[in-house]
Amino acid sequence: MSFTVVRGLQSEIFIPTIPPAFWTPVSKSLNEMVVALVTAGGVHLKSDKTFRLAGDSSYRRIPGDAKSDDLMVSHGGYDNTDVNKDINCMFPIDRIKELAKEGFIKGVASTHIGFMGGGGNIAAFTEITGPEIAGELVEQNVDAVLMTAG
Amino acid sequence: MQRAIEETGIPTIIIAALPLVVKQNGAPRAVAPLVPMGANAGEPNNKEMQRAIVKDSLKNLVSIETPGEIVSLPYEYI
Repeated sequence: MSFTVVRGLQSEIFIPTIPPAFWTPVSKSLNEMVVALVTAGGVHLKSDKTFRLAGDSSYRRIPGDAKSDDLMVSHGGYDNTDVNKDINCMFPIDRIKELAKEGFIKGVASTHIGFMGGGGNIAAFTEITGPEIAGELVEQNVDAVLMTAG
Repeated sequence: MQRAIEETGIPTIIIAALPLVVKQNGAPRAVAPLVPMGANAGEPNNKEMQRAIVKDSLKNLVSIETPGEIVSLPYEYI
């Protein structure tokens, strides 16, 4: 006996799919790596333009030698209380500098990147902002990227 | 974003407060300390915890061998 009552019936429930993997193997040891920070946490220089909190697919450059006191967050998608107390809890710029000084990593990138993730124009992020940020990092010749987001 | 960077040939790792979201989005490598969104790298003004999270994240950048793997980190700030 057949259990099919209606042919071609499809579920109305969206089933999430995980996109195919991208993978770049690590070829250097940590003490040979120049590391950049990239955050979706809306971090930027206080002197720079703030993000539009309702949605913004632009990004900001953050100098590798920037002082943590010169940084701030504008992000409409999470509680900013912790990051306003100490930017390092979302953007560990002082910690990464310390690790470079100790020789745990070779160095800190000359430019880090901040953008405002958590939604907005996903097509613009995927097609424009993502490749632009990646291009900046390639140009700087960084060996690895440490991200905070999600 | 992580995928776009990884695609250009730079290995990446993400410190995630929401590991399931990160998995869903196809992150190549991730670590997940027990932290709230907005304090992914650890408790504010807790240098020790932040340092340990950053250090362990970088170690996992090297040691993770499978795309999509998420490693839990033993640090808690709630």
